[in-house]
Amino acid sequence: MRNTRSLWILSTALLLAAGLSLQSGSVVLDWQDIWTGLSERQSLVVWEIRLPRIVMAALVGAGLAVAGVSLQALFRNPLAEPGLIGVSSSAALGAVLVIVLGGVLWGEVQSWQMSLAAFVMAAAATVVIYLIATRKGHTDVALMLLAGVAINAVAGALTGLLITVSSDVQLRSVMFWMMGSFSGVSWQGVSLMGVVGLIVLARLLSLSRALNALLLGEQNCLHMGYALQSLKWQIMGLSAVLVGISVSLVGVIGFVGLMVPHMVRLWVGPDHRMLIPLSALGGAVLLVLADWLAKSMMQPAELPIGLLMALLGGPFFLMMLLKRRGVGL
Amino acid sequence: MKGSSAQVSSDFKHDIVFSDLNYAIDGKSLLEDVSGRFEGGRVHSILGQNGAGKSSLLRCLTKEWHPISGDIRFNGQTLQDQSYRELALKRSVLPQNQELAFSFQVEQLVMLGFDAQGLALNECATQLDDVLEACDIRHLAQRDYLTLSGGEQKRAQLARVLAQIWPQNSLADDAFTGKWLFLDEWSDGLDLKHQVCLGQLLRQWSRQGLGVVMILHDLNQIMQWADQCLLLKAGQVHSQGDVSTVMTPANIEAVLGVKVGIWQPQGSAVPMLFPLQGQR
Repeated sequence: MRNTRSLWILSTALLLAAGLSLQSGSVVLDWQDIWTGLSERQSLVVWEIRLPRIVMAALVGAGLAVAGVSLQALFRNPLAEPGLIGVSSSAALGAVLVIVLGGVLWGEVQSWQMSLAAFVMAAAATVVIYLIATRKGHTDVALMLLAGVAINAVAGALTGLLITVSSDVQLRSVMFWMMGSFSGVSWQGVSLMGVVGLIVLARLLSLSRALNALLLGEQNCLHMGYALQSLKWQIMGLSAVLVGISVSLVGVIGFVGLMVPHMVRLWVGPDHRMLIPLSALGGAVLLVLADWLAKSMMQPAELPIGLLMALLGGPFFLMMLLKRRGVGL
Repeated sequence: MKGSSAQVSSDFKHDIVFSDLNYAIDGKSLLEDVSGRFEGGRVHSILGQNGAGKSSLLRCLTKEWHPISGDIRFNGQTLQDQSYRELALKRSVLPQNQELAFSFQVEQLVMLGFDAQGLALNECATQLDDVLEACDIRHLAQRDYLTLSGGEQKRAQLARVLAQIWPQNSLADDAFTGKWLFLDEWSDGLDLKHQVCLGQLLRQWSRQGLGVVMILHDLNQIMQWADQCLLLKAGQVHSQGDVSTVMTPANIEAVLGVKVGIWQPQGSAVPMLFPLQGQR
């Protein structure tokens, strides 16, 4: 069957991409070494640096793609994407805010506190965008995108301001929050993203039929017997969890939630029962590959992953807009 | 109430009974003390000017809106006490406008209706075929919904709405008993052939127990397909009853503000209504 085949194709692609990324870097690693046994140095590099980084890229890619899918169902439009509508930058602001405030108020800031703050701000941004763009169950897509521009501007400026005036080392750089990075990823972060991400993914997958009905409009969704209000709250909350945690761990990485669901829909159609698992896999493949490119293109320097994604995603977004010219957003 | 239905059955088990409904948005009253009764197994129409409260009444009766005051009993039980999940199995609703922006195949779209019943594709293959056949879209089954014409899209949505309440055996005498269809201007945009075909099917299903509540603007479509009509004027019930008794030139002028003539053409079972104003 076509659907099972697509799952196999993408799973294989993910393994190949992971393999590719695993052996590239300043410490040389041949496939032979893996069979014959790694040196101590190689083993350290693989287990403590490369593997967590690859797993994190895959999990964040899956999470961001699925967050895109669910926001697109909420707004009934394929242009809804956490980066474009300001959810990601709000999450970054939340994380930075808690570092600065926490430093003053209670000292050492834990990573879960950053994730929680990022989630809260991401959820707040989603609710605000929804209230602005959707009235009586109908979304004004232009309003949604423009409100996103405004939120991005404000959240980005506040984040930059906080980083500039504060000297806390935990804040890292403006670059990290705006462009993301998978360097310095720890197994602790991977397990947080992994456990929470998979639970959220499973929950969204179980809502597939309701999400399908929501594509027909809020009125139809209600009349088809799905709990509309609870569904909308769950989408906003679950997508904010995915965006919030990933941003707090690896910064803002845009366009994954735009490109992956769009391509998967062209391939298998809009049914969420296939769209969610395939987008998760597709997002994982995309970010693992992008991360491999980012770290191997200009060795020993590393390209910010968000920069690479913007290079890919910007033209993609324009292409989607051009396709809609004449039919409206 | 003027012109109440002559036949009053002894039980209300398959009826929708509503009394003293009031609804307002932003201080503007949309429904004022609206009462009436829709019997199961019959075709009902709601007629009135734009803004007379037709869609508001439909939204209250389908639990989309909650009236400020008043009581609605659906199939003998208080509407408020029935969950959307329960209601979805008993009644299906076609809103006036659709806003689907994703490329579902027609067959996938119709399957969403069976999904709402909890049926998978392998459990409802014949039913799916029946519904596609009824709406004459079998030849479009694999097409992308977004590439269809307006009338074809309407038929596809109608098929989805039907699928939600489609019975196991659609040929049984009481196949549709206790089920309801709410249709807001379903014939809009359909060509004459499909209007006539679906109108006939609605009448056939109503004989098998289906209750239909539809908003139509075409007086002669009401004359042909509806058993009863509820006339609304400025949020209030003007009259309700059998089509032959309430669809009089006097009532229609009072409700729509247009003088109409009535004419019984040869070979037609029902009289025709036509406007006397605005002719050349």
